[in-house]
Amino acid sequence: MTIFRFALKRILRDKTNVLFLTLFPIAAIFLPTAEDGWPLLPLGYQYFGILLLFVSIRLTSIMIEDRQKGVVKRLAAAPVSHFNYLWQNLLAFSVIMIIQIIIIISGGYAYGHELYEPWNLTILYLVFMFTAISISLAWNSLYRSKESSFLIFMAVIVLMALLGGILFPVEMMPVVFERIAVIFPTYWLSEGIEWIVFGEDRGDFLFINGVLLLYALFFLIIGSIRRIS
Amino acid sequence: MVNVWRFMNIVFLIALWIYQDPPLVSFLFVISLAIIVCLRWRFRLPSWTIIIDLILCFLFIPLWGSSAYGLALPVYEMMSRQKYRFLIVVILLIALFELYSIVLLWLLFQAGTFGVWDASSKKQRERYITEADRERHARQALENVKEELLKSNRKTAQLAEVSERNRIARDLHDHVGHDLTGANLALEAYEQLEGREAEAMLNEVKLRVARSTAMLRDTVHDMTPVTRIGVDVLEHIAKEFIHTSVSFQRSGDMKLVPAHYWGLLEPCLKEALTNVARHSDATEVNVNLDVTTYLVRLSIQDNGTESKHLGEGSGIRNLKVRARANGGSVTVNTVNGYQVVCVLPLEEDKR
Repeated sequence: MTIFRFALKRILRDKTNVLFLTLFPIAAIFLPTAEDGWPLLPLGYQYFGILLLFVSIRLTSIMIEDRQKGVVKRLAAAPVSHFNYLWQNLLAFSVIMIIQIIIIISGGYAYGHELYEPWNLTILYLVFMFTAISISLAWNSLYRSKESSFLIFMAVIVLMALLGGILFPVEMMPVVFERIAVIFPTYWLSEGIEWIVFGEDRGDFLFINGVLLLYALFFLIIGSIRRIS
Repeated sequence: MVNVWRFMNIVFLIALWIYQDPPLVSFLFVISLAIIVCLRWRFRLPSWTIIIDLILCFLFIPLWGSSAYGLALPVYEMMSRQKYRFLIVVILLIALFELYSIVLLWLLFQAGTFGVWDASSKKQRERYITEADRERHARQALENVKEELLKSNRKTAQLAEVSERNRIARDLHDHVGHDLTGANLALEAYEQLEGREAEAMLNEVKLRVARSTAMLRDTVHDMTPVTRIGVDVLEHIAKEFIHTSVSFQRSGDMKLVPAHYWGLLEPCLKEALTNVARHSDATEVNVNLDVTTYLVRLSIQDNGTESKHLGEGSGIRNLKVRARANGGSVTVNTVNGYQVVCVLPLEEDKR
């Protein structure tokens, strides 16, 4: 578990990182609830998915850094398998993001937000977190420098949030876009949030999480490729 | 290329899904197929995984008819892996769901053809690779044999030298040595004797000395070779060359050069002179043979002007290999005329 511990230490050593990782979820708790009925959840909870995407790209960028500095090359020669390196790093990222999810859910509960079904919301965030990590992993595998990867991914996040129905409801968009929205994981997150608020068929919730997990698996397979140079 | 085709199929399914607006559940089909395609891209999956594709198609065709287009992927897989028995399942699926669209059948046919083509090209590639490997092996083995031969050539020359030395020592010891020792003893006895006995002893001494002289002459005669050896051969070749005038200079102690080196210097000179005769417009050739304590250097320089563009023939290349096997080198210089230089090191024990 050396890699896991080291990854945690590396992330927490950076002061701006710590600030970024703790301040934003706490600030999200205090965002108000919309008055015109949409978003359904308090704003902080509606946009938490975007935050998860940002955090995941920020965390996984240390793997690009490893590649840039030649750590991956040295690891290839060391008696550590690529699989070990990958899962221990991913575990470290997950642990940090799980803590954020716990902060925002328990904080919101304590603050007195109407969260409808906090447990299910936690599950939804957890599943989306895995999707977010694997998306950023796959995204990073396409780039050589972490700056360009991060900057372009910011644009992608905004696009996904816009088209996926997080920033405004999908129903407002033209029909074609409504259909296209389905291919974005963010669409399934907003569907999940909708289910939590209106909560009908339990099978729907499972289906939504299933799709998100399949997405996670898909991007994980792409992102787990070992790029040495 | 195959992966591009696979992913394009997924893109096509997504586009179709967006266009046709089927129930949301059928999106699972697209993602699942995408995951399998990804896995096939990353890893070499076993053939039975084709069943997963087929099961997915079986499950989702009732929900979304266009899922049938997804069959292109398993059809390609089974054709490229030559697992034709899965085709029965595809035919059953087509019959079961009555998928008699011409476009679909045409697509599946294309996918199958692509699979067959891919399989055959893969097989061809493998054959080329094994053939190239075999050739490389054979070439390497040949090189090894050549090296071994050159080494054993060197060894044989050394062995011949040693055995010849032994023979001479034996001859001198057995015949000349015994007679001379006998003569020496007889002379000592002669000093002590007088009269007829002394005369007989003196005759004995004379006989022995005469015999050993004859024996020594014989031995030396046996040792002197009838054919030319060593530097004489080189000089002879230079003298016999009629194409241009050849000047031969030598310096140093020729005895330092081991016998097997002459076997290399001789073809070297011959090759250079042949090249002059065949390719060059030279009018004069200078041959220098220098022997120092550390090395032997043979340089053949002509004053030709036409040989500059000449590449290296197999002759020079062979000489290079042989020189390298002896720890030396053969170099060609075309700056001033055409010059071949052969340098060979002298071994410690020869100095």
